[in-house]
Amino acid sequence: MKKEYSRPSLEV
Amino acid sequence: MHKLTTLHPSNIVVQAEGNIVSDMDGEKVMLSVQKGKYYNLGEVGGDIWNAISKPATVAEIVSTIERAYEVKADICQQDVISFLQHLLDEELITLLNT
Repeated sequence: MKKEYSRPSLEV
Repeated sequence: MHKLTTLHPSNIVVQAEGNIVSDMDGEKVMLSVQKGKYYNLGEVGGDIWNAISKPATVAEIVSTIERAYEVKADICQQDVISFLQHLLDEELITLLNT
């Protein structure tokens, strides 16, 4: 079962 | 600085040392004592971070994320490279080849 994808972002 | 370095699928990257990393509610957070900055990598970013605990090619990291998430290959590669580029700019990862 694959997980729901969300675009990775780096919060600084 | 790494501002002029553009990552490619064949590049090998690994986590840089000297960061304190923790999991919070399924998201990876990190404190860089050296830079005095706090980072939230999020869930997918956390999985990318885990994938580079040992040296790995960008292509291998893309495959790891592609297998774990519902995402098209071309979008996955674009997003992973963009994210890794940001990590590189913040000196949170080390590029082992050019």
